[in-house]
Amino acid sequence: MKIWGELKKRIIQLTVIVATLSCEKEIYVNLNSIEPLIVIEGNITDTPGPYFVKISRTVNFSSENSFPAVTNALVIISDDIGLKDTLTEMSPGVYKTKEITGVAENSYYLTVNVEGKNFYAISSMPKKITLDSLSFSPLIFNPTKDLYYTIPLYTDPVQLGNYYRFYLFVNGEKENTYSVFNDNLNNGLVNGRPLFSRDPGIEKGDTVSVEMHCIDKNVYNYFYALTQLSSGRPGGVTPSNPTSNISGDYALGYFSAHTIQRVTQIVK
Amino acid sequence: MLSAYNYKKLFIALLTFFCVNNLGAQPKFTISGTIRDRLTGETMIGVSVKALDSRLINQTTCNEYGFYSLTLPKGDYRIIYSFIGYKSDTLDVKLDSNKKIEREMSENIIELRELVVWAEKRNDNIRRTEIGVERVDIKESAKLPVIFGERDILKTIQLLPGVKSAGEGSSGFYVRGGTEDQNLILLDEASVYNASHLLGFFSTFNSDALKDASIIKGNPPAQYGGRLSSVLDIKMKEGNNHRYSATGGVGLISSRLSIEGPIVEDKSSFILSGRRTYADLFLKLTDRFKDNKLYFYDFNAKANVKIDDKNRVFASGYFGRDVLGLGDDFGIDWGNKTGTLRWNSIMGPKLFSNTSLIYSDYNYKISIGGGDSKFNINSEIIDWNIKEEFQYFPDSKNSIRFGLSAIYHKISPSRFEGDGIATREKRSRLSLESAFFVNNNMKISDFITLDYGIRLSSYTILGGDTYNIYDGGELTGSISLPSGKFGKSYINLEPRIQFSLMLNRNSSIKGGYARNSQNLHLLSNSISTSPTDQWIGNSYNIKPETSDQYSIGYFRNFREDKYQLSIESYYKELNNQIDYKNGADIGTVADIESELLFGEGRAFGVEFLIKKTTGRLSGWLGYTLSKTERRIEGINNDKWYAAKQDRTHDLTMVAMYQLTKSWSLTGLFVYYTGNAVTFPSGKYTIDNNVIFNYTERNGYRMPSYHRLDIGATYTKQHKGRYESSWNFSLYNAYGRENAYVISFEEDKDDPSKTVAIQTSLFRWIPSFTYNFKF
Repeated sequence: MKIWGELKKRIIQLTVIVATLSCEKEIYVNLNSIEPLIVIEGNITDTPGPYFVKISRTVNFSSENSFPAVTNALVIISDDIGLKDTLTEMSPGVYKTKEITGVAENSYYLTVNVEGKNFYAISSMPKKITLDSLSFSPLIFNPTKDLYYTIPLYTDPVQLGNYYRFYLFVNGEKENTYSVFNDNLNNGLVNGRPLFSRDPGIEKGDTVSVEMHCIDKNVYNYFYALTQLSSGRPGGVTPSNPTSNISGDYALGYFSAHTIQRVTQIVK
Repeated sequence: MLSAYNYKKLFIALLTFFCVNNLGAQPKFTISGTIRDRLTGETMIGVSVKALDSRLINQTTCNEYGFYSLTLPKGDYRIIYSFIGYKSDTLDVKLDSNKKIEREMSENIIELRELVVWAEKRNDNIRRTEIGVERVDIKESAKLPVIFGERDILKTIQLLPGVKSAGEGSSGFYVRGGTEDQNLILLDEASVYNASHLLGFFSTFNSDALKDASIIKGNPPAQYGGRLSSVLDIKMKEGNNHRYSATGGVGLISSRLSIEGPIVEDKSSFILSGRRTYADLFLKLTDRFKDNKLYFYDFNAKANVKIDDKNRVFASGYFGRDVLGLGDDFGIDWGNKTGTLRWNSIMGPKLFSNTSLIYSDYNYKISIGGGDSKFNINSEIIDWNIKEEFQYFPDSKNSIRFGLSAIYHKISPSRFEGDGIATREKRSRLSLESAFFVNNNMKISDFITLDYGIRLSSYTILGGDTYNIYDGGELTGSISLPSGKFGKSYINLEPRIQFSLMLNRNSSIKGGYARNSQNLHLLSNSISTSPTDQWIGNSYNIKPETSDQYSIGYFRNFREDKYQLSIESYYKELNNQIDYKNGADIGTVADIESELLFGEGRAFGVEFLIKKTTGRLSGWLGYTLSKTERRIEGINNDKWYAAKQDRTHDLTMVAMYQLTKSWSLTGLFVYYTGNAVTFPSGKYTIDNNVIFNYTERNGYRMPSYHRLDIGATYTKQHKGRYESSWNFSLYNAYGRENAYVISFEEDKDDPSKTVAIQTSLFRWIPSFTYNFKF
């Protein structure tokens, strides 16, 4: 949950206030090099295709942020009503579906065969839950300017076990961070949990879009673990790789079947 | 109902098998009494009492209430009372009946005081049985340089081999490879669940209110239990019962004041002690931080009444709170409350009893957000404890302790409350932790002493909540325990044994074995502890943690006890260790137990310590070589890995020099191997973000840590009762940038690259404190 990460961040901030004499510097750390690993990122949604699967490789920490594509893979997405779609490589490492269409409440299967290795994943596309609107609440933390944060308004179903992922766009620009929610705390209620945006926050007159994805439990766990890792500053959690829903040979990444909706509003 | 007399007889009968009674034909009599400080009337702990006749030296020490008892054959004896820093007291006694001898001892005021941090009489280190025990002289340790000038016994004990600081400026500590929650911290017998203020930079203990502190590194006698690694036993002052006096200090970040005095002279006394920081007042002056709150305060109080010569009652309490806040939309406050009611009774010349009723409460509250969406997170742990302990001194060879303790725990797990949160009730969990113990310290001969005992501890889950059962994180069953019903019980039998073998007056070999168990566990997913870490008791998934520690040591004094050398080695095995699984959801999960993993640990170490105890220059050099590992099913591919508190080398040097009558200088240097940490090996991209790849738990090391602190104390000579001193110190004198955290992130100047950023906290921190007493 985002709040917990936020809390850890605040505790770090407090520590730094206590230690007003702290200092930061860039250092060299001798990190291990490892054999490059395969990274798979696959999505299928309830909006019309094509859908994409990206396959790349890890690089060493000291290398540039350019990740080699994995080409000539055999990539297949199938569903539980017998449809089977073999993806074509659109550009190096990016594979595209031909005909399959995602439908909520169906399960999807991904198989990838490359360099003699086999990878499998299953993801169930949840039922679509309606994102009604957005509400904006003032952020008190910065008193010099009127700043807001966004609350996506939707009613969580009574049945426990719904998972959501949110992307935020401010004036058409996608925020780097995303949020994942479960319904452990607000099962069956209208959501009141905010989406935090990048500092300092959003202002009056901004156009804000929220993309809500209904995701399955494994995908939630994967992205929840990622938010703990990528919070920038370490919140103190001992880092580890998120548990992937890809089985077979070892790969990093995920395969997600999810619904998509988008609501856009102007902050008033 | 058993009368007190019958009760006593029954226990003595039960216990006679436990000691060797060398019943001679000669009649025996007992000398007993209580030893006090002449000036303050405080009872004195650990005074050595020797009875000499033509052939033998019989020896005992005063217990934690200043009581001693020696049973000897009829005859003439010279009794010598001695204690470090005090004038020895000698008297001749014709022992032809049971005698009660109460004495008051005076402090040794000499021109140039020696600086002694570890309160110990000459070759006591050779003689006594305990292995891995140190007692802090609270007054003298105040001269050591400390960060922000806040003297702190928790930072003094971190300078011992085998005890390691939890991090830069932290009052948290690790003992012999144990975690922070494996230390039992007792303040007047009450458990202190979070001994830190301000995110760990200060301890909850205000030295002005303290009388005595000792640490036992893993081989505790049977009266202690409940934690695996150590016992830190802290006792508050009782208050001067002769006259009123005040002690206080004004420092850079806090001020403190204590008032003590008699209520009825020689019959009853009190002490009140308070401390508050005022760093927040400075924050108010800055524009950036003016809306932030950042302070702590604590308050100690104690009173005692002597009912008659045999009975004394004590009441003591502690209350401390931290308040931190960033503006209006984030706040966190936490604190401990403890209370102890004690009744000391001298039931006979050989039997001493102490009955305690103890209360302890630790809670925290976090509030996040403001306006329309506000959340609170709360957690609390409350203990009610009743304890009865007897000390029985059958003869000059044996001293036996036995008793029982029962603790009623009420643990409220961390709960979210607020708008848009369905309050799915997380109930408080109740449990009963009880223990029976018996321990005997037996002098087999002048050279061999044996200390052995057994503790039977049990933990019973009490009804009122539903307990889930998990197998590999998957729910496999659930037990609903109605209120008033007893749930699962865990029983542990904990044998403890220690011996000392004196080779000659100057050297000895000691060894010991102890089994410890722990029924309460602190769940922490942080690299450093935070107030939000939560305590949890045993359940149907969580079993008691246990440890077996084997220790052996060689002790040697040189040059008439001027130099003391000790080499101790330990090996420890730990079971049922707990950790969070990777990516654990600790914020929202309905049952935190589904996020836990279990495993084992092992620790090994050798500790070297050389102390120079007398002369103008005193101090010590300590070095520890150690290894601490864990293996948890589900972490690091189930392979052994270095625990975060694993530090291969740990070196401490402390020097104190009495320059003139009024000036003393101190310096300390520490060096240790960096903590084991998890760093990335490679990176990849997900969703156009750069993600780091982690291959191995704790496979890397932080850079090694070292630091030099220096200090000076100027004691002003006043006429009359007024005493004052100035204490100056400089923390991290050569400005070493020790890594507090190392983070990996995108290069701000070049987003196509990733860099490692090191954050360091304290360099060149000067401070001063003015202390007074009248």
